[in-house]
Amino acid sequence: MKRLLGAALILMGMAGTANAASDCGKVTIADMNWNSATVLANIDKFILQNGYGCDAELVPGDTMPTGTSMTEKGEPDIAPELWSNAIKAALDKGVAEKRLRYAGKSLSDGGEEGFWVPEYMVKKDPSLATIAGVIANAKLFKHPEDPDKSAMMGCPAGWNCQISTTNLFKALNLGKAGFELIDPGSGAGLAGSIAKAYERGEGWFGYYWAPTAILGKYKMVKVDTGNGINVEHFRNCTTKPDCENPIVTMYPPAAVHTITTESFASRAPEAYKYLTKRSFKNAEMNELLAWMEQNQADGNVAMEQYLKNNEAIWTTWVPADVAAKVKKALAAL
Amino acid sequence: MSKASWLVDFPQMDRADLLFIRKTLDGAYKNFSRSYGDVIESLFDPLLYFLVWFEKLLVNSPWWIIIAIICGLVFSATRSWKLTLGVLIAFLLIGYFGMWENTMRTMSIIFVCTLISIAVGIPIGIMMSRSDRAQSIVTPILDIMQTMPAFVYLIPVVMLLGIGKVPGVIAVVIYAIPPVIRLTNLGIRLVDKEVLEAATAYGASSRQRLFGVQLPLALPTIMAGINQTIMMALAMVVIASMIGVKGLGQPVLRSITNQYFTIGLFNGLAIVALAIVFDRVSQAYGKRTQRHLEGAQQ
Repeated sequence: MKRLLGAALILMGMAGTANAASDCGKVTIADMNWNSATVLANIDKFILQNGYGCDAELVPGDTMPTGTSMTEKGEPDIAPELWSNAIKAALDKGVAEKRLRYAGKSLSDGGEEGFWVPEYMVKKDPSLATIAGVIANAKLFKHPEDPDKSAMMGCPAGWNCQISTTNLFKALNLGKAGFELIDPGSGAGLAGSIAKAYERGEGWFGYYWAPTAILGKYKMVKVDTGNGINVEHFRNCTTKPDCENPIVTMYPPAAVHTITTESFASRAPEAYKYLTKRSFKNAEMNELLAWMEQNQADGNVAMEQYLKNNEAIWTTWVPADVAAKVKKALAAL
Repeated sequence: MSKASWLVDFPQMDRADLLFIRKTLDGAYKNFSRSYGDVIESLFDPLLYFLVWFEKLLVNSPWWIIIAIICGLVFSATRSWKLTLGVLIAFLLIGYFGMWENTMRTMSIIFVCTLISIAVGIPIGIMMSRSDRAQSIVTPILDIMQTMPAFVYLIPVVMLLGIGKVPGVIAVVIYAIPPVIRLTNLGIRLVDKEVLEAATAYGASSRQRLFGVQLPLALPTIMAGINQTIMMALAMVVIASMIGVKGLGQPVLRSITNQYFTIGLFNGLAIVALAIVFDRVSQAYGKRTQRHLEGAQQ
């Protein structure tokens, strides 16, 4: 009896390894509404489908709703690019309760946040790359409604970065320099204001983040606010709404993770392993985003372009047999 | 196999051709905004100055003066103590819950949008009612304005005019103007033919018929259109705040992204209160100008 049981267990174990691929089953991947995340989602879909035999499906998503739904409902299975600082508390709780796993960093350098000015302005006057230069030339940054004031574009209403920009605005004493922090209302509004300034060569100063299609398309220079990065203060005060005496600090790199549900990670360990390795450098991502912007490509087309031209990189993410399967599928496209 | 595939898959445009179209149109729009943007922006400057001035007037005046003026307006238009008292309480509550400034901002922008909609909409409606050809051209345009998702034209407008009040007003007017145009047209077309004939028989000129007969008789329908326009303008406040229009829309946006439901509800109710004030005042005014008709019928 014991022997029989042992044999059955071994058999099951073998079946497990042999069928790792088909165990993967139906996988849902969050397709976020910004370009870098949608490329990652499409790459994951293609590799999981063709390399690991998963039945992968993209579902629309966004940071907050996807993060919440993954912790509460266990759906979708994979969030390929989650800026985890934005919902750190909820994610950590999910990990502690064994519902989520941080698979790896989708952007190994981390996301880059900061205050930016267009490159053409810095070329004309290099001092604009520092906050002192921006303050001295406050008149260049025209307020849309009040000719006596200067404008700094802040973060859209309700976003996490609204708190940090407000605190840094206070710490940098920009109000005294005649600046007003403007709420662009939405991500699209903020991007639109950059596009407008850039097309006409006007002044622009405000918050943005990279890697993004906008910063890939419109070259911007990050303004040095001096004082370097004070991670401690940034975590405990700058990002908190009740920070009483904010001090000047640059933004530390933001962690950008691939997050999966626990059920997916235990159901398909091989596929999970791929997700822990799949990672982009910011320079690579910016290049790909710029290509997308130039060709108005969607995530699917960009995935094809990337996988076809960067074999040396992506083959390190997967074992050789999987790589061969993916290559075959790629050739059939 | 590949030749018959069009039976199964819809024969799609070549990716390269599609890309060419997309790039050309986008590029053309960008060139347009680059070369004419400044000119167009300066055309709207007077509107911007007026909007800023009016908002400052409402925000900076002492609150009790504003409330007194509003209640005075409500009473003189409706002659109803009950309604006036209700408006007074609503505004006192709005102020007490800390939404006074945002409410004033929203009120100023909605007031301007309504004025523009009426000033532009009624002449277009009259034109439509006088010519079937005009009607057949304008109707599909109105359909587009009412159904096109706002963001489709919002962001191009932002590229042309920047973020802030003017693009906000344009977006709100585009969305809110169709009812007043449609119902002006309908109201005039519904005026009794025999009444018009009688007017003609008395030797009324075309202009006299319009201002003396058609418009007064169509007024109840036109007022219904204005009412719908006001309601739609207020509903658009939240969308307008997505391109940086200050007012009640911003706290609504902030609270829904952070799931602060109570704040969202309070600001939403403030928008409703504004809508009711605008509506009751305009309706009561419209009815009072029609009172002689009721008398005649009785």
